[in-house]
Amino acid sequence: MITLSDVCLDLPTFSLKHIDLSIPTNDFFAVLGPTGSGKSLLLEAIMGLMPITSGTISIGDKDINALSPERRNMGIVYQDFALFPHMTVKQNILYGVRYHDLSPSSVSKRFDLLVDQMNLSHLLARYPGTLSGGEKQRTALARALILDPGILLLDEPLSALDPMLQDDLKHLLKSLHQEFSTTFVMVSHNFSDVLFLASNGAIIKDGTIEQTGTIKELFEQPNSPFTARFTGMKNIYTLPAASPALAAMVQNNGNRPRAEHGHMALRPEEILTDNRGARDTCCAMEGVVTRLISRGFFYDVVIQMDTVELTAQWTRHDVLVKQIQPGRRIPFFVPFSSIHTF
Amino acid sequence: MKSRPACQDHCRGLSRSKIKLLLKLPSYARGSEYFWFFSILLSIPLVLLIILPLGRMITTPEIADLIFTIKEKTVQEALGRSLFTALMATLMAILFGTPLAYILARKSFKGKNIIEGLVDLPIMIPHPVIGIAILSLFGRNTLPGKLLAMFNVEIMGSLTGIVMVLTFVGAPFYVNTVKSGFENIPVRLENASRSLGAGMGATFFRVTFPMVWRHMILGAVMCTARAISEFGAVVIVAYHPMTAPVLIYERFTAYGLKYSQCVAFWLIIISLLLFITLRLLSRERRDR
Repeated sequence: MITLSDVCLDLPTFSLKHIDLSIPTNDFFAVLGPTGSGKSLLLEAIMGLMPITSGTISIGDKDINALSPERRNMGIVYQDFALFPHMTVKQNILYGVRYHDLSPSSVSKRFDLLVDQMNLSHLLARYPGTLSGGEKQRTALARALILDPGILLLDEPLSALDPMLQDDLKHLLKSLHQEFSTTFVMVSHNFSDVLFLASNGAIIKDGTIEQTGTIKELFEQPNSPFTARFTGMKNIYTLPAASPALAAMVQNNGNRPRAEHGHMALRPEEILTDNRGARDTCCAMEGVVTRLISRGFFYDVVIQMDTVELTAQWTRHDVLVKQIQPGRRIPFFVPFSSIHTF
Repeated sequence: MKSRPACQDHCRGLSRSKIKLLLKLPSYARGSEYFWFFSILLSIPLVLLIILPLGRMITTPEIADLIFTIKEKTVQEALGRSLFTALMATLMAILFGTPLAYILARKSFKGKNIIEGLVDLPIMIPHPVIGIAILSLFGRNTLPGKLLAMFNVEIMGSLTGIVMVLTFVGAPFYVNTVKSGFENIPVRLENASRSLGAGMGATFFRVTFPMVWRHMILGAVMCTARAISEFGAVVIVAYHPMTAPVLIYERFTAYGLKYSQCVAFWLIIISLLLFITLRLLSRERRDR
């Protein structure tokens, strides 16, 4: 278990404020936040590359504040891979071996395993400058994993890759996590990557942790408009609802908001064009389509419902079949379970 | 009367074939052609200003005079002394300038701008002033001078003094070049190295140094070049033993242009050979 207790880090232009986090051993943990929120800085603080101003970072019962980065038994894989340009792929992978108490046979076994798994065997003599983004990322992962680190820190590992490679790497990361007994801590600004990979996570904003929990909790029970927006909700309204339609929706919902709840939110992809096959009782609503925004395979359909606008995300097929066009009044359905209040 | 196309006015002074070529080009391409043409035109005077006097000086002396000059013991000693002291100064700059450049590139601290300004200072102040400043600190009647004398170290009129002066004038070129080299290396590479278990020292020698050594060579070339050509500061601290620039000056004042040109020729040739060798050594491999 990695524990961060009241960790603060002050830089001239930015600070991490009172970070409390618990990352279970062998977990795939994600730190999510927009650009400039401090997530990479948090990773460097855990690694020991940025000295913290106050608080404690510990692994199990052991306080590691005083340990230098090279003695923390952690690996880090950067967004830009940080491969040593003057070394071949093989030299890069084996770079750290001499600093660890590893037997040559175990290194050789692990090297062969990683090279095979990462499909690097034909690249070993090449220099990083001649590799593609995916190849660089696989080399960086092999370089970190060959040392059998207790914790692997991943700094936006997918963001420098094109979408097809991102998919491959996501699957690779997942299988590596399952195969090696290592805690993965990944920072990302992309919630869909995290949904696929991580089991627990934290949302960070302006150097402060906004919410922690399982990824399912973050996705389904956001505790603030920021978290809601960050996890993909688009329809966020303040409570008590000013719109009669929204008020009716909240009233009919079995899971009524508590007194302290100040917001309600609806996920655009959970709004249905019809209630057949819905897994839950639905609120039947009606509104006028004001805009259709094409997103390729699906549309964002903006609907005016009395005094508020609401965005639904429907497939291209649904939009064409149901002849959904701007100006048309259409029925739609909101399952009770999709009405989130916080 | 038939008016000339507007472009022809712009193209006056260009050759006929060039005008034809330009008229065929689309307007945006013509603009780019003009830009390069005038850039080259404006560069020529500066190149000539460097080439013509040096070329004249190298080609004027007769071969017999050159051979006679290089056989002179005084000339050989002066050239050797210049080379030796310049290389020693460069060694000092490497030894003490590399850590300074690394600190300036990697750390932010109060007073950093002042330190950077101080490093640049020798480039800006007149060089005889540097000689006077060093003598006023390490002269025979000063406390530091007396302290050094206790260890038989003399600054005035000695090789030590010359090396000190040359380090003073050459080091800024080394420090600034190497600092920009360090700045070009992403800190993340060093962080990645440390995450893999290497300490600061191992990281420097295995990651940073292999990426910065070309800048170090370039800085060393610039430092040596500055040091080997130094006259103003050296002449104040040590007229004797004579370095090549001081000998050239002495020959010029005592015997005239012709005698100084022969020594200057050999100084230029030795410097050129040294710098070409260093540049060749630091050429980048193209397979990376």
